[in-house]
Amino acid sequence: MSAMKNVWVFSEKQDLLVELCAGARQLGEKVAVLLIGNPSAADEAIKAGADHVYLMGELEDSRMVEDFLPTIEKLVAEHKPDLVMFGNTKRGKLMAGILAAKRGTSVLADVIEFLEDGTCKRRVYGGAAISTIKSNAEVAIATVGGGVFGTQALDESRQGTTENVDFVAAESKVKCVEKRAKAGATVNLSAAKRVVAVGRGFADKEDLKMAEELAELIGAEIGCTRPLSEGLDWLPRERYIGVSGVMFKPDLYITLGISGQIQHMVGCNQSQTIIAVNKDKAAPIFKQADYGIVGDLYKVLPMLIEKIKAGK
Amino acid sequence: MNVITCYKIVPDDQDIIVRDDRTLELGKAELEIGQYDLPAIEAGMQVVADAGGKVSALSVGPKLLENSKLKKAVLSRGPADLYLVVDDSLADADTHQTARTLAAAIQKIGNIDLVLCGEGSSDLYSQQVGAQLGELLGMANINAVSKITVEGDKLIVERTLEDEVEVLEVSLPAVISVTTDIVQPRIPSMKEVLSAGKKPVTQWSLADIGLADNPQTIETIDTLAPELAERKQIVIEGDSEDAVNELWENLRQELQ
Repeated sequence: MSAMKNVWVFSEKQDLLVELCAGARQLGEKVAVLLIGNPSAADEAIKAGADHVYLMGELEDSRMVEDFLPTIEKLVAEHKPDLVMFGNTKRGKLMAGILAAKRGTSVLADVIEFLEDGTCKRRVYGGAAISTIKSNAEVAIATVGGGVFGTQALDESRQGTTENVDFVAAESKVKCVEKRAKAGATVNLSAAKRVVAVGRGFADKEDLKMAEELAELIGAEIGCTRPLSEGLDWLPRERYIGVSGVMFKPDLYITLGISGQIQHMVGCNQSQTIIAVNKDKAAPIFKQADYGIVGDLYKVLPMLIEKIKAGK
Repeated sequence: MNVITCYKIVPDDQDIIVRDDRTLELGKAELEIGQYDLPAIEAGMQVVADAGGKVSALSVGPKLLENSKLKKAVLSRGPADLYLVVDDSLADADTHQTARTLAAAIQKIGNIDLVLCGEGSSDLYSQQVGAQLGELLGMANINAVSKITVEGDKLIVERTLEDEVEVLEVSLPAVISVTTDIVQPRIPSMKEVLSAGKKPVTQWSLADIGLADNPQTIETIDTLAPELAERKQIVIEGDSEDAVNELWENLRQELQ
């Protein structure tokens, strides 16, 4: 998409915003950020890659992030950038959808790659396939997740301009009456360098402790297949590797009791090294692993844990 | 409370076959109601169980929607009736076309208080139709909802975001996309399956809902299975101490 002149970025999450700014620099000649925050946040956005910041005001208690949409809509209608990228959080997806509907178009949802010819790629069928898609809209609207562009160090010397824009008020049909922190720590699997992934080979939730011990010993995060998070509820959904729009490229991926169906494997296919433990010799996982052991994880895992402890 | 729950018929992704040229063979896949749509249907049933009213199911898509087994599948999960908009051009609809078709159908049905969508379709999973539909209908519009309570002419909902939960007051009418953990979908009883066949089904064409012109704005150029990375495929057989030793040696290399 080297032909693009103006690429705009919005995300309410600072880390994602920084990544999208770096990505926008690769895609367009000029990068503008739609920002909720204060002037020092605008400076940060410039260091991250913005040429111009539309500073829309701060998030007051009476306002939801979504309440800034009319302001964004107005700016987009006035300036008509070639592409507006939203971070693919729940809020980002809602806001991208509303903006697209206003403008009579669809959203390039959860893009994993932008190509030079103006097309882009996204995962479909639970990751079993990748579609190449193209927006015919005057202003293309996309949602993009972490890991797609990778991070880049802030450039302290970068210069840009900041423009204060007026908040466009609109009748709000949704009002936030309370906010609370979500139970359970958030995990960012897409950033993990090592991952131990568990599947249906585990008979009981208690047994996952073995996998957790292994993960802790080697400094890995725990991930799982869909049935463990959605059918059995053993692990939170953030730990499930598959459909989510997150790119996943750990250095080391150890699968325990995972058969290796394509819907799962696509989620971890870009791992540097894959190690598999599974008792079924015919499991497809062994065709996609660098190292495998055909054995009972209930025997292999305790022995392996002992060896790691002894080797330390 | 008049509730519409939207759903999509999708191929079971376990049945998708990847051909040698990496294209997909979907023709042999079993068709089913999208797995993210089932909780939306059940959430609708819960809302009317608490607040009274009626749940209608709605789907838009190609001719395969007419399959009587699929119609019974949705009606056996509780909705009182079913509306379908059928046109083969909808097989490749983008999210905007789908949302516009749903919006036109909902306007034709009329007098709707609450529209429920799943968090995404289980085949393409753009998670966009609910958001766009809410905007097209000009209704209150929110996603990621994990709990719905009716309070008079409003809803109090919980919205589960990445790292926080919001409690929101949502005015009616509203379009709400729900998460999968909002409620466990039922397994229909034999009685529900039998009575499903007797429930009314209304089928419309695009012309019936006044939507002759509904152009595509996102074009899908191709859909291919990803190329798999070359792997070493060094596989040790057996779970003896020696075998685990060998595995450990390989793992140790990687940990350095």
